[in-house]
Amino acid sequence: MALFRSPDTSGRVTALLLRTVLYSLLALGLIIVDKRYDQLGKIRQYLSIVAYPIQVAVASPFQGWAWFRESVTTRDTLRADNARLAQDLRVAQFKLQRYEALEAENMRLRALRENTAGVTSRFVIGRVVQVDLDAFRERVLVDKGARDGLFVGQAVLDAGGVFGQVTRVGALNSEVILISDSTHAIPVQVNRNGLRTVAVGTGDSAMLKLPYLSTSSDIAKGDLVVTSGLGGGFPPGYPVGIVTEVKRDPAQSLADVTVKPAAALDRARELLFVWLKEPSAPPPASAQPSAAVAANAPAAAAALASKAKSKATAPAATKQARAPSPETAASPATAGSPASAASAESAASAASAASPATGDHP
Amino acid sequence: MMRDNRSKALPITISTLIALGLTIFPLPDVLDALRPDFLVLVVLYWAIVSPQSGGLALAFMTGLALDVIQGVVLGQHALALVLVAAWATNLRLRLRVFPLLHQTLSIFALLAGYQFILFWVDGATGNPVTSFGRWLAPLTGALIWPVLAGALSSSHER
Repeated sequence: MALFRSPDTSGRVTALLLRTVLYSLLALGLIIVDKRYDQLGKIRQYLSIVAYPIQVAVASPFQGWAWFRESVTTRDTLRADNARLAQDLRVAQFKLQRYEALEAENMRLRALRENTAGVTSRFVIGRVVQVDLDAFRERVLVDKGARDGLFVGQAVLDAGGVFGQVTRVGALNSEVILISDSTHAIPVQVNRNGLRTVAVGTGDSAMLKLPYLSTSSDIAKGDLVVTSGLGGGFPPGYPVGIVTEVKRDPAQSLADVTVKPAAALDRARELLFVWLKEPSAPPPASAQPSAAVAANAPAAAAALASKAKSKATAPAATKQARAPSPETAASPATAGSPASAASAESAASAASAASPATGDHP
Repeated sequence: MMRDNRSKALPITISTLIALGLTIFPLPDVLDALRPDFLVLVVLYWAIVSPQSGGLALAFMTGLALDVIQGVVLGQHALALVLVAAWATNLRLRLRVFPLLHQTLSIFALLAGYQFILFWVDGATGNPVTSFGRWLAPLTGALIWPVLAGALSSSHER
């Protein structure tokens, strides 16, 4: 305390210097440990619990306002919304019927090639917490965390398309990097011709770039760019964006391609956290049900071939036919007992025997 | 100025929490880039006015809080804030008697130093921010300093 009594003496300055060095070394140590050894994950999780109330407090006026507006909407608005949503649902269900048939066919074809990678198995919906993290990084905070099973590197979608991936998981919240962050890249392909490349973020949430395409590559304005699923981080086939501009400078070897993201990167509120089906996941069913399903498969395929016209029966039949395909693909990797291996083989042969029959019918 | 430290604890806590809230308060993209570093300004103010109760410890703790909230490498903001707060504490006797323009320019230098340390740590840890937008914050921060310092001094000086 004597040091602090007279602020002008050199003793005070020395004490300041000492404390500065001490704190700086502490901070530098934290930086190095956090960067190098990744040991601070737990500490950060606990600290983020402490910080979470502040973030919630800042976001609460916005959530309160949204809640207020929601609760004072008139009956007419609600009825109009309801009618519109019912209409949307009908259209979506109509599309889904077709989708289910296509997915079943796709799974069968993949099963033939022993490749079931990159099919989404389950998902969780999270809400964006309305706080700004950093002006120059495209990141958002979400109200789901380790408690809900989220993990680092998990793919995040919104209603329009691919949104980003999880970079940091706290106990109650987590951080998502957008595909438009300048340090983010995502493997994609052009939907029209399967041209594979990488889409990198620009730091601007309204555009992405495809920097690794040559000037002669077949890409044009309006092309849909979807995830390719290479690398395993993202499920394949989800829309990433639409090509808005292709500049071909003859003096350059690479084209300058701009893509507008399909997801509402700057205004999405609800996000979808996706789990991919592991290619080598152990089948949940034991040997007995798999044999039963294998017996089912040809029957279902026959039903599909004969009753293809009737829309009511087709989805039911495809559901039956779809069930065995992941198992037949997974069983070679996880053959536990000889009995199950044998029955799995029979299932595989049954499925492969059945699929040409279904493949014929368009 | 040399009053009991206890009386400063409350204004320091409240002002720091408010600054933390302002730092993460959602703004449109354009304004977001112009957002002053409120937390740094508050830490600098207390480092200048009352280094005993709001000195490097305050800088370190708030820096750590900012690291956790913004999800950057742990210790980045803590390091930057501690160094800048120490610099301000060292300069404080001169800063207090400077005319307003001088003071504002000095604050600008301190804020620029803060951004430079962040910039350096960003680069060293392998995720650099390449846009020039980050150098706008010291400018707006220096411009808002007279208002902020006036408000803060009226909060604890009777």
